[in-house]
Amino acid sequence: MLKLDLPVVRFTEEQEAFRREVREFLEEEKRKGTFETKCDSWLNGASPEFSKKLGEKGWIGMTWPKKYGGGERNALDRYILIEELLAAGAPVAAHWFADRQSGPLLLRYGTEEQKQYFLPKIAKGEAYFAIGLSEPNSGSDLASLSIRAEKTDGGWILNGSKIWSSGAHIAHYMIVLCRTSKLDPNNRHAGLTQVIADLKAPGVTIRPIQFLTGEHHFNEVFFDNVFIPDNRVIGEVGNGWKQGMTELAYERSGPERILSTFPLLEELIQRLKESGDYRGMQEAVELLPELYSLRNMSIGVAKYLDDGVDVDIIAALVKDMGTIFEKKIAEKARLILSRNPSLKSSDIYDRFMAQSILHGPGFTLRGGTTEILRGIVAKGVVAG
Amino acid sequence: MSEMLEMILDSAGRMFKDYVSQELLEAAERGEWAEELWEVLTESGLLHIGISEELDGAGGDYVDAFNVLRLAGKYAVPLPVAETLLARWLLAEQGAKPPAEPATVYAEKNHPFVLREENGRLLAGGKAEYVPWARHAKHLLTLGQLNGNSVMVLLPLEKAAIEPGANLAAEPRDTVIFENADVTGAPHFPIDKNKWTDKVYETGALARAAMMAGAMEQILDLTVFYAKERKQFGRPIYRFQAIQHHLAALTGETVACLAALNDAIQKFGDGRKETALTKMKVSGVAGKIAEISHQVHGAIGVTHEHILHHYTRRLWSWRDEFGNERYWGAILAGQLLNSDETLWEFMTEEKQANLVSQGESS
Repeated sequence: MLKLDLPVVRFTEEQEAFRREVREFLEEEKRKGTFETKCDSWLNGASPEFSKKLGEKGWIGMTWPKKYGGGERNALDRYILIEELLAAGAPVAAHWFADRQSGPLLLRYGTEEQKQYFLPKIAKGEAYFAIGLSEPNSGSDLASLSIRAEKTDGGWILNGSKIWSSGAHIAHYMIVLCRTSKLDPNNRHAGLTQVIADLKAPGVTIRPIQFLTGEHHFNEVFFDNVFIPDNRVIGEVGNGWKQGMTELAYERSGPERILSTFPLLEELIQRLKESGDYRGMQEAVELLPELYSLRNMSIGVAKYLDDGVDVDIIAALVKDMGTIFEKKIAEKARLILSRNPSLKSSDIYDRFMAQSILHGPGFTLRGGTTEILRGIVAKGVVAG
Repeated sequence: MSEMLEMILDSAGRMFKDYVSQELLEAAERGEWAEELWEVLTESGLLHIGISEELDGAGGDYVDAFNVLRLAGKYAVPLPVAETLLARWLLAEQGAKPPAEPATVYAEKNHPFVLREENGRLLAGGKAEYVPWARHAKHLLTLGQLNGNSVMVLLPLEKAAIEPGANLAAEPRDTVIFENADVTGAPHFPIDKNKWTDKVYETGALARAAMMAGAMEQILDLTVFYAKERKQFGRPIYRFQAIQHHLAALTGETVACLAALNDAIQKFGDGRKETALTKMKVSGVAGKIAEISHQVHGAIGVTHEHILHHYTRRLWSWRDEFGNERYWGAILAGQLLNSDETLWEFMTEEKQANLVSQGESS
């Protein structure tokens, strides 16, 4: 039977003190004008300067071993950090993927050389990673991917392309899931391998794809006979599917699946408070039980991940429900405090509203569509 | 989960499973009292959790008790388990030894029972509607007014006229009338009526939320089982994507309710915020859970013969008891409106002072 209960976490006094430290840092940075709060800042707010600042504070890779530049803090300390960054809408997109999943993947499956080479750079906020999963013809059906790596002397030759790679234009590396042996129709998950591609290597072309707002965060990345040295294969050749799936639990269960539009909700509440709008507030608080339960779920998963418990199904649930909640905030807010949303408005509420609405369609697509996630959950619960 | 709690839940689960058959549920619905189960429950000490041993309690804490209530909800135990525990806790808080018989609680701050002292006798008058299990309970713990002061009073229900009523699940929700009834000797304690009513609502709300979460677990089990068993178009219906989406939604909302509930149980007593959020969450999705489970079950699920309705009808009832989403939302709205915290501070705070119920009267 699928375990329905997640661990309950109570933060310690030290952790609460750490939360205050992060909060004060962010307030100070905002005062200094380092950044302006934005919705969906973990995808849309890339600032290498800000990432380096976090790196200096030891706030990237903070759970990793010290010998790789980490801080050996626990997963819940990190949880506090990242939820504070998101609630403040800070520009964390540059290092986000490396901190969230590429680093942990290397820690788990990487060679000693890879760990020593990459992790300290990531932790300093100087090396960014892009995710290389989707392809033009392989979206939800990821196992159908066709990018190929052929064995050659001392390495592999990579040919094919990846798409929807957020931040690839500022990233230094991409972890590419590629096919290293012929597709076996009876075992489509076999023969896949993860390799680290240097995005500055000869043969790599990055083509920007404009988001519907005209913004540029995702890309299509072409690999034309790109040489991947043997020492840039992650884990075992042929084990890429399984390795990649462990990344997904990190990718799907974090607070960024709940809080992408939180700045809008915070602004709404502040305005209702200022105007003393009790009726509006009564409507707005109807969003809070969902936020509360989702946050508890997400924290529970973080604890489980730290304890090495398998949480794929619950992680899929967090993403499914959390991203629907993110969209709901805008849909409710627009009726509670009716204004004209605009990205160009001088009013921050209008901008948050516009960012939330226009980015909304992506929430339930990126990192696994709602439909795919529900399939995973249903199969899990039926299998018991 | 502590080992102690695991043991308690294990034995409670087995007891409920053994005793609460569909026949028992149907008999309870006809108005019969499940005496045998009551006896076993009393024996087990489960109805004395959260009360110190000096007061004849069984020790244990609220975490244990709310988890037992979750199980009671999972098996639709047709007895006033929550009400009896609640009455006993409130009495124990005053240092009074709780009675051994089944009890119930009614708290409506604007409708106290009127108590009068006359020639050394204590007389009670007043009427209360929708009192859970009143026809079977021996005592009603409620708000009284004596010489202009608010008291918590334990009234003997044998002195009351009782008109039977029912909630949607046919659980007793009766009208209780005391008409100049001689209740001499009824224990009473001076209290602050607002604080007392808030406390009853808070505890009752978390109890109902726990019971609903338990019912949701059962509903999920039943629905998954049915989706695997039932074949249409030559295959089990869970193979259809439309059904898979229903199962995912049921699972998701159940997990979410439990995540809220477990946190609120841990924090029970530290402030009402978590209880408010949990009751809102659980009540808010109760209808959706009932709807989806019935949709997956098809026509068989709406028959009296099938067991599903025993849980779905409880969800439809319990979501409104001890405050629905709007009731608790009004309290939270009032709190936020008068606070200088940001929303984020409010949501991430580990401890806080008790909420005041300024929203309730508007």
